[in-house]
Amino acid sequence: MEVSTKSSKGKLIASGVIPFAFLIILIAYIFGPGSELLDLGVPLPEITMEKVDFLDSEIQVTVRNTGPISVEIAMADINDRIQPAAVEPDRYLERYETALVRIPFEWNEAEPYRIGITVEDGTRFEKEIEAAAPALEPSFELLGFFAIIGTYVGIIPVMIGLLWLPFIKRISKQKYHFFLALTAGLLLFLGIDSIEEALEVSNESLADSFNGVMLVATVLILSFLGLYYAGEKLVSRAKSSRITKPVAIALMISIGIGLHNFGEGLAIGAAVGLGSIAFSTFLIIGFAVHNTTEGIAIAAPMSREKNVIGKLAVMGLIAGAPAIFGAWIGGFVYSPFTSVVFLSIGAGAIFQVIITILKWIREQGDKNLSSAAMASGFAVGMVIMYLTSILI
Amino acid sequence: MKIKSRSGIMMISTFVIIVMSVLFVALPEGINAQQEENVFVTHSGAVVKTTGEVLDPLYTSATVEFDPMEYLRDFNYGQISQLEDGNTLREFTIIANDDKIMEVSPGIFYNVWTFNGTVPGPTIRATEGDIVRIKFINNGEKEHTIHFHGIHPAGMDGVFEPVGGNGGQFIYEFEAGPVGVHPYHCHVMPLEEHIVHGLYGVFIVDPKEKRPTADEMVMVLNGLDTDFDTENNFYAANTIPFYYQHHPIQINTDELIRVYVVNMVEFDPINNFHLHGNLYKYYPTGTDVVPSFYTDMITLSQTERGIMEFEYQYPGKYLFHAHKVEFSEKGWVGIFMVNENKKGMVSEGYGS
Repeated sequence: MEVSTKSSKGKLIASGVIPFAFLIILIAYIFGPGSELLDLGVPLPEITMEKVDFLDSEIQVTVRNTGPISVEIAMADINDRIQPAAVEPDRYLERYETALVRIPFEWNEAEPYRIGITVEDGTRFEKEIEAAAPALEPSFELLGFFAIIGTYVGIIPVMIGLLWLPFIKRISKQKYHFFLALTAGLLLFLGIDSIEEALEVSNESLADSFNGVMLVATVLILSFLGLYYAGEKLVSRAKSSRITKPVAIALMISIGIGLHNFGEGLAIGAAVGLGSIAFSTFLIIGFAVHNTTEGIAIAAPMSREKNVIGKLAVMGLIAGAPAIFGAWIGGFVYSPFTSVVFLSIGAGAIFQVIITILKWIREQGDKNLSSAAMASGFAVGMVIMYLTSILI
Repeated sequence: MKIKSRSGIMMISTFVIIVMSVLFVALPEGINAQQEENVFVTHSGAVVKTTGEVLDPLYTSATVEFDPMEYLRDFNYGQISQLEDGNTLREFTIIANDDKIMEVSPGIFYNVWTFNGTVPGPTIRATEGDIVRIKFINNGEKEHTIHFHGIHPAGMDGVFEPVGGNGGQFIYEFEAGPVGVHPYHCHVMPLEEHIVHGLYGVFIVDPKEKRPTADEMVMVLNGLDTDFDTENNFYAANTIPFYYQHHPIQINTDELIRVYVVNMVEFDPINNFHLHGNLYKYYPTGTDVVPSFYTDMITLSQTERGIMEFEYQYPGKYLFHAHKVEFSEKGWVGIFMVNENKKGMVSEGYGS
């Protein structure tokens, strides 16, 4: 008996491994003796300038080889005028390898610059910077500055939004459903907004080889599935624990919004770091008004609960505080790749929250998602978000 | 408790994702402990140290295949023989190629199309009235010709007689004239492509009564479009950007300098030539022996050319460059190093 089980196990393993072995042989053949068969077409070099920093009398460019072949960096220019420069650690870049190009240059603040890098076959790549701004050096002062921005944009508006709780508590079931649907509408807008921003970042700064659109789609769906699974477990166990189902839903919503605000913080920090926006009070107000609506989203499911003040405060923090961390990371260690990933995670989180809310309304209500309260709430949510988004 | 652990897992996994992404971001900036330091000097004179490599075509000279210093004063008078009617016959051989990859600027490689292996091609020189006979061999893959500016029969114009590649031949023969400095270039369509890849050179016709003895040189003002976007990536006098900045042209005080200038820049409608610390007499196209201008700045359109004559009174370093500053910052800049002329030493003269 034992022998036969062992041999059948061996067969199982073998049958799993054999296809892999053939795949490896195929790859070895294509790279080795078979490589000439595939020697068609002309591979073109490609590099991506992922990051441009304006330091004291120097411009630094982080260059990544994002093409199919290795490249040599041969020359740097600013505004199409050749400049002496240095490249560290060296000029040879294998696929996906990065190098730092240092161009001594007396740049002027707030002026636009076009940075050019020429590789060995004479191809010139260019990146345009809208306005030169000094690179952010991590300091406690700046850490504090970003924390304040994050607080203004994340925590305070969410907390203000939560103050609608007493109001939502007193209204009828119909109106309550209206507000839940409104929340779903707000979130749907945010989700689409995140996707749009992720695609925009990947378009502008991410090399084609990262396959931006599919990166967004993959991360979004993974994030959605992960949170959906976790959320379902959380809600289904809610009955047997201290946490009630509405609280569990509100918690899920605040986590989702927190992930979204992390992405928003990244975008703000990065924008300050790259000097592509002037940080006006107007912009802060825009973000604040926009994010107040997020507070409503958390408050709405909790409105039928008692003694929620403490829980709400915690959830407000969960939803708002990530904006601070996002601003820190975005400002100090920006990379377009991380931005795209986090914006996509945020979008996935938000879609998960929408599904959760819709299910909640259905269970709560008339098993009907087409009531007047539902439809109008959803529509009003979208419109509010659109109007507040104009402010940003 | 179980709920806590579930949400805990979720939070941890989120955290892990964040940490991984931060690491991903931090990696490019990873510390590269390197041993040696290189040094280079910027425009403003600042000295910059780097642990990496220096990318500096401006102030760091590199060995290039084509030597602009040699080209500068290299005049090709051909194989000379007397014809029965007493005229001088000058025979030249020019071979076209279009497969050469040349390092045009440190680290940058470009497919140059050449006459006799260089860009520009050889400077051909004859005296007015001489019979010029050029044996043209096309070893390129494409069709090429030589079209001379000047006076000659229609059949010698190098336009309607394309010479096939891989060994095609043609004999161009005509009487040298008029006096002056003229370009020659390939005239096969698409013309712009054949010119910008480098199929051009200079043809000088001396007057029968020689110009005064001088230190003579040829400067072809050209551009290189290395990425084929119909905009020049480099400009130069004699092909190699910044070359005469690294290698100043040595001349003497109180010695007549004669520069044959030909503008072969494509894409940009004009080019110009500015001389520092001096003015020059300018003979447009070199067709007259009386100068038309006394200036330090002339503007040249495509294939516009002329002769400049000047003498330096004071020794030292003097720039010459395009005053279209974009061009000079992309390579069309050089230096005359004017040395004190030793008394009693008579300059040799290159024009005889």
